[in-house]
Amino acid sequence: MTHRGIVRSIAVALCAAAAIPALAQNGTITGKVEATPPKYLAETVVYVKQAPGTFAPKSEAMDQKGLAFIPHVLVITKGDTVKFLNHDNVAHNVYSPDVDPYNLGTFKQNELRTHTFTKEGAYSQLCSIHPEMLGYVFVNQNPYAAAVDAKGSFTIKDVPPGTYKLEVWNSHLKAPEKSVTVAAGKTVTESFSLKR
Amino acid sequence: MKLRVCFALQLSFLAAIASAPSRAAGIPAFARKYETSCLTCHSVYPRLTPFGEAFRRNGYRFPGVDSDYVKQGTLVMGQEANKKTFPKSVWPSWIPASVPLAIGVNGQALYYPDKGASVPRANNDAQFVLDDLVAEGHLWAGAALDDTVTLWGELTLSSSGADVEHAQVLLNDLVGPKHLVNLVVGRGFPTLTSFGPHSSYLGDARVTTVPVTAIYGLSTDPFTLVDDYNGLEVTGVVAGQADYSAGVSTGKNTFGTRFNSENWYAHAGYKLGGLRLDGEGAQGPKDAMKPWAEDAVTVDAFVYHSREYFPTPGATDTATGDSSFTVGGAVRAQLASLELDLGGYDQKHDRGTAGLASVHTDVEWAELSYVLYPWMVPAVRVERIGLRPSDGADVADLHVMPGIAFLLRANVKAILVANIETTDGFPGDATGGLLPWSGGNADWGGFVVAPRDTSTATSRMSEFESIALFIAWAM
Repeated sequence: MTHRGIVRSIAVALCAAAAIPALAQNGTITGKVEATPPKYLAETVVYVKQAPGTFAPKSEAMDQKGLAFIPHVLVITKGDTVKFLNHDNVAHNVYSPDVDPYNLGTFKQNELRTHTFTKEGAYSQLCSIHPEMLGYVFVNQNPYAAAVDAKGSFTIKDVPPGTYKLEVWNSHLKAPEKSVTVAAGKTVTESFSLKR
Repeated sequence: MKLRVCFALQLSFLAAIASAPSRAAGIPAFARKYETSCLTCHSVYPRLTPFGEAFRRNGYRFPGVDSDYVKQGTLVMGQEANKKTFPKSVWPSWIPASVPLAIGVNGQALYYPDKGASVPRANNDAQFVLDDLVAEGHLWAGAALDDTVTLWGELTLSSSGADVEHAQVLLNDLVGPKHLVNLVVGRGFPTLTSFGPHSSYLGDARVTTVPVTAIYGLSTDPFTLVDDYNGLEVTGVVAGQADYSAGVSTGKNTFGTRFNSENWYAHAGYKLGGLRLDGEGAQGPKDAMKPWAEDAVTVDAFVYHSREYFPTPGATDTATGDSSFTVGGAVRAQLASLELDLGGYDQKHDRGTAGLASVHTDVEWAELSYVLYPWMVPAVRVERIGLRPSDGADVADLHVMPGIAFLLRANVKAILVANIETTDGFPGDATGGLLPWSGGNADWGGFVVAPRDTSTATSRMSEFESIALFIAWAM
């Protein structure tokens, strides 16, 4: 290794070392959601209601495959763009009547259309050609949100320390919000019980 | 005389069969829909528990949000969000992923211990009759299109053919608070009390029927209170304790060229104690081990106007119309597993007798039962029909029906009953001849006593009619 290479390696190592404390300053919110009836559990998002800061727009994707929206629930941040894909060999349409309605028209196999979500809320994703299809795009003010897994568990990572309102959205059920305090490098656990 | 009696007896049997209510019950299609036992809604089916009665009153829906309890897969015909896009999209609904059907069979075996009783006398002294051991097959359908619209149907097959006994669309929660206003469109039983039509442990119907125009030989398809009619009915539950119904329906008509839809009826009921009539709220049964039991009193009152047409006696090319008006009531008192159910009505026909004269009918029934075990219910039912024709003598008939209802499995039942009858006179035809009695509440028990050669219009006569074993299964 040349002298220059050694210097470069040391520099990279120092940068990495500097980054570790920065990540470690954030915390994690984890927990479990129970739903009565449990049939609606899959349509649940746990999210931090308001968090300070600005968040760089990202690009996410929701596929249409086997006459289903995949994932069933997509969690994004306000300003993000979603690429809607069609991997079926039949035509699909994507539209939503919710919050800030849109209609992406009809698109063929392997065609991609995009939509940028500028307003918070839960958007039903419908296909006018296949009325049985249903998905959700949940748009949060901040990136600290997660859809639950099949067992109702959720994990929201990299949440800056602070006290927040933790809320839960479900397509049919409700639960009261909770106050949660996130400490640097710590994991805080909360649970919700969804009911009518 | 003897020939005339035999003919009249056979006619009355035909009329009794024609007027017998169907055995429509809660159905296994619902059990599959909710993945729940028949016992959630039934005691000895088709008798309903208080929860089952609430399910029925709610238009075959669970309290709360019905779809929350549905476990059977559904095919979505549109999403909830499509309500926002209506009228540019079809209003959303769903259908069951599997055909929501159930099947069932029922029938009865009869033993006539007294060869001299009316039925053996008219049937070659036959004492054991298995002819109706399998008398009917049923195909039931029950489904929901969403949380407010439900469907209910029943096709009954018997030796007399196929009959659509129920085919109803139930449009629930139309306006106001939940359960307040519901509309039932189609074919079915008029709602005359707060309880289901099959609310009897020993018989087939809660209300004892009297086929007046059949008794007097005017019609082979007589009007009775408990039968299936095409019509519209508004029904609802008010504040969980009161219920009502009001409807219009077709009338009976055995003279084919004349239509009539002039029947109307109404009922109001009030329940004191026990589960709410709509089953809403967290209140469960008083004893979780006895979901049929509660301490409650339910009072009902009803009226019914009927218009019926039949061929004019002696002139088959013209029709005669008979109007009847019924005023009645019922009371059910429950103390845990002990239940007394009684009621009665007065029914006035303006042209009900063989001579087309007016006739008053008074009918009373009482059934005392005790759920000894969840699968065994001893009971005794007493029912009486009185006829007071303006052109003849007052006559009456009393039917006593002690028995036991068994649930062999949750979906297999049996009823063992004895039928004892005491008549105080016989109805008369236009020429002074005597006619047999008919009516009651079941094919396995009812009014069947017929006059003997020595009988007079005021003869008093008692007969041990039969011992009947009714069996049924559904799945």
